[in-house]
Amino acid sequence: MQDNKNIKISFTVNNEIFDNVMVSSRQHLGDYLRSLGLTGTHLGCEQGACGACTVEVDGKAVRSCLILSSQVNGSVIRTIEGLDDPLMEKVKETFLKHNALQCGFCSPGMLITTKEILNQKKHFNREEIRSEISGNYCRCTGYQSIVDAIEESITTNMKEINNG
Amino acid sequence: MKSPDFGYYEASSIEDAIKFKSADDESVFLAGGQSLIPALNMRLSTPSCLIDISKINELKNISIDDHFISIGASVTHSEVLQNKIILEYLPTLTNVLKMVAHPAIRNKGTHGGSIAYGDPAAELPAFAVALNAEITLVGLKGTRTVSANDFYYGLFETEIKDDEILTNIKYPLLKSNQKIIFDEIYRRHGDYAMAGLIANIEILHSKIDNLKLVFFATGIKPEVAIKTSNFIIKDGYNYSKIKDILKTELDLDADLNSSSEMKLHLATILTKRILKLLEI
Repeated sequence: MQDNKNIKISFTVNNEIFDNVMVSSRQHLGDYLRSLGLTGTHLGCEQGACGACTVEVDGKAVRSCLILSSQVNGSVIRTIEGLDDPLMEKVKETFLKHNALQCGFCSPGMLITTKEILNQKKHFNREEIRSEISGNYCRCTGYQSIVDAIEESITTNMKEINNG
Repeated sequence: MKSPDFGYYEASSIEDAIKFKSADDESVFLAGGQSLIPALNMRLSTPSCLIDISKINELKNISIDDHFISIGASVTHSEVLQNKIILEYLPTLTNVLKMVAHPAIRNKGTHGGSIAYGDPAAELPAFAVALNAEITLVGLKGTRTVSANDFYYGLFETEIKDDEILTNIKYPLLKSNQKIIFDEIYRRHGDYAMAGLIANIEILHSKIDNLKLVFFATGIKPEVAIKTSNFIIKDGYNYSKIKDILKTELDLDADLNSSSEMKLHLATILTKRILKLLEI
């Protein structure tokens, strides 16, 4: 039964439609996505600092620990499991090429943030890339290799856009 | 890091939100939630219900008339950053917002939410005070406008009554001789400032004619340094003199990042930096 602690919502995750499912009002989206088996979304700090849980909601990167599942009624969500288009497959390869991950905990959030950078379809210098990923903590790489991978991904993507 | 138990209600209009709020005084409004939800996850707050106001269309506009730029309460920081009116008429606000957290937080965090929450270390409350913004509050008894100068009482305490909702913030259009300059000192990109300053400056014949200095992260609310402003207009900048005056008009509460003495030094240095950025 729906009351103000059990909310009925509909939404799409990675092209799969969820219709009239019941969610708990206090549960954040990250926990809910993980309960659906989408454990690629990593929960680090659960207070918005680390960025590991970043997912895409209606085309924008957001912290899944700072959104309630009840807030995504009608939304289109994409998680790391859904980043399987040719562009993001290429980005993942570029991350591997540059060793832009070590333990992999930050990578799902880092890749969602990279997708948002690429969506802007413009050049970023290294300082600007660092500013864009400033909300995503990585405790392994020291960021250098991540910036390398994102820089190359932007260059490749811009070339493809300019070549039509 | 799991929030306590609370209800959720999606408000369909401003009236609906006020009606629900006035019937349950333990409930709170949820706009972007980028400060509220961390506070809930850390169990610093235990409301009975969150009233989601983020889907009310009336709160999502940015507009301009002959006197004001008006920003709706649930416009996100990212939307303000991309807005043409803001870029043309209030460009300093974009410099300020780039210092507010990180892109993913700015995609969700709202202008009105930040103003209403009133974090003393946040940029926007100080920005609203510096610009003499007018804040619109709608309640059961109707609509009223409060100057940002009278809006903040104490730590997270504002003029908003239990049955009221903040609907928009109106910034007076800048005069041609008016400049808004902003600077802050921080440890980590996107983190709260150790100290910050927003200056509202009017220039006449290449001299400062009017000056309003508003500091943040130095006390329990945005702090207006009137004596310091008067000294600068008369005598200009002098480190030890400005430091002495600031000491008398700022709270300078120590926090995890810095002692009172350090905050005083940073506030003094920020004053110097602002005057340098002014370039007159």
